[in-house]
Amino acid sequence: MGLYLAQQLVNGISYGSILGLLAVGYTMIYGILGLINFAHGEVFMIGAFICYLASAVRGMPWVIGAILALVTSTAVGFLLQRYVYRPTTEKKAPLLTVFIASFAASIGLRHIVMMFYTDKRRAFPIPGVFERMFLVGGIAIGLRDIVIFIVTIAIMSVLAYFIRYSKTGMGMRAVSYDKNTAELVGVNSRKVTIAAFIIGSALAGLSALVYGLSFGIVNPSMGITPGLTAFIAAVLGGIGNVTGAMIGGFIIGLGEVLFVALLPASLSPLRPLFVWALLFVILFIKPSGLFRPNVKFEEIWE
Amino acid sequence: MRNVNPDNSRKQRILKTLIFAAIIIGILALADTKLRGFYLGVFLLFGINAIACLGVSITNSYANIFSLGFGGIMLMAAYTCVLFTLPVSYKESTLTLPLWLENLQAPFILALIVSGIVAVLSSIVLVLPAFRLRGHYFVLASMGINIVMTNLAINMRAYTHGPLGLRNIPFHTNVWWVYGLLALTVFFVTRFKRSKFGRALIAIGKDQTLAAALGIDVVKYKIYAFVIGSFIVGISGALWVHYTGSMHPNVFDLNFVFHIIAMLAVGGSGSVTGALLGAAIITAFTHLARPIQEGFALFSFDVPPLIGLIQVLLAVVVVLIMIFRPDGLIGSREITFNSVKCNFVMPKAREEEKG
Repeated sequence: MGLYLAQQLVNGISYGSILGLLAVGYTMIYGILGLINFAHGEVFMIGAFICYLASAVRGMPWVIGAILALVTSTAVGFLLQRYVYRPTTEKKAPLLTVFIASFAASIGLRHIVMMFYTDKRRAFPIPGVFERMFLVGGIAIGLRDIVIFIVTIAIMSVLAYFIRYSKTGMGMRAVSYDKNTAELVGVNSRKVTIAAFIIGSALAGLSALVYGLSFGIVNPSMGITPGLTAFIAAVLGGIGNVTGAMIGGFIIGLGEVLFVALLPASLSPLRPLFVWALLFVILFIKPSGLFRPNVKFEEIWE
Repeated sequence: MRNVNPDNSRKQRILKTLIFAAIIIGILALADTKLRGFYLGVFLLFGINAIACLGVSITNSYANIFSLGFGGIMLMAAYTCVLFTLPVSYKESTLTLPLWLENLQAPFILALIVSGIVAVLSSIVLVLPAFRLRGHYFVLASMGINIVMTNLAINMRAYTHGPLGLRNIPFHTNVWWVYGLLALTVFFVTRFKRSKFGRALIAIGKDQTLAAALGIDVVKYKIYAFVIGSFIVGISGALWVHYTGSMHPNVFDLNFVFHIIAMLAVGGSGSVTGALLGAAIITAFTHLARPIQEGFALFSFDVPPLIGLIQVLLAVVVVLIMIFRPDGLIGSREITFNSVKCNFVMPKAREEEKG
């Protein structure tokens, strides 16, 4: 049983990394603009798709496909900010207007990809290096699990440092706490917003690569479930708190894997229910999340 | 100076209403006899979507509680209605139901009412978060309810036949059912909007704290909004299944929800005629424009089939409307006889009155 649990924990780490990397994007954008970027899951999907197209269809080396994926998802995030979110938020439109626009952007992006490639599952190219497995005390650990874990932790540390000490990072925190005052003391809120979208979308692209490596499939509607789950992870970690989002992602990822592993198999189709039940528990008991959120509380509670 | 306002004496008003009703019934009778196949389908779907829009607008536009959970509620109502109307032999062969439910056969009207009531009961799961959460958090929670309901429907195979879905549902929905119920709904919602309840709800939607300070019982009216909205939405869900004749857990997914939201966004929030207009535009667009995504030849260019183009165009339109006209085409105004008369038929008279 102990071995089985340890194996499941190893399996859960890559899913946790996917959710954590995605959750950072949500949390930064929510913190700054006060909106759920519904299209974030689609940015994630486009990242995975570009890597698939470049290396499996066009036959480029995997690394180039991965770089292209990161560049494209960053570009998509930037374009979203420029042509959907900036026009709607800068008009002081009500929150729901922006929300409907973001919902529409998500549906639109998903169907653009579906239009050309149909909603079919395809095999994501996994370079042979990542297939190597190690046996540590009876637990099978893939090289990709190790690489994914190290990369995620490294990126998370760099990002935490960036948010805490760099000028842009401090600007981000200032804007997410109070936009008007931040602008009064000379923070360029437009630049900060763009930075948040770019960082968030690049991490979504990275998360897509991790998803492809650990699940091996891509399809145009793959962004829905990880996207929504990652937002729940961001809420769990305290919305607006980047480190919290990463930890929340790991908690939910591991929790979901353990839910399937520990309960009888007849309950495993109810996996989405577990995540949403968790959301309700968080929202009713501690809507501020586990760590200090970086937004004002009136936005959450009635 | 001419009298601008039409003469609103009682007799004339009744006469006008009767003439209007007669015209509508005439059009419906014509549609019932002339329309066939695809066009009849679009005509019926417009009615069903319009009912759903009106139901959704009570919570989402008037009370300003933006809920995406109505997909789950429609699913619940639709499955309830189907259990009442499916043929007994089909139920026996595909579902494992308690005996009384298996032998149950009810007339359509009764099934509709029961499914409306079930919709109201299931909306409790929406009401609870609505009192605790605000803004995006409630939107997310309601979306979660949608996903949870779909998931339950997939997993409760005994009642829903799981992802395989149900077929052989009798086609009860016709022009008279849909448009009769639409007329009732329009009548009810217009009256509701002007009544004490409706005005209280709109006040809550504009500023909840102020409304509470004015002595409006916020909790009570929010519950009313969910009860009434869910009942109407549930009925439209039941009509929808009896139009398509088949049912599976993913019919009222986020894509469907997006269509309804798009209708309200395009038509105008907080307006009955706006909801009807939005439903008409979006339904017509998504169904009549379908040929363009199936590929065609344009001046010797072969345009390949692009399934999903409709959704992309719809999304672009909604984003543009949210940027340039966030209140929708007609906002919260209503198109009535008087407004048409004052704006288009007799604009000169109005100017005279102003001067």
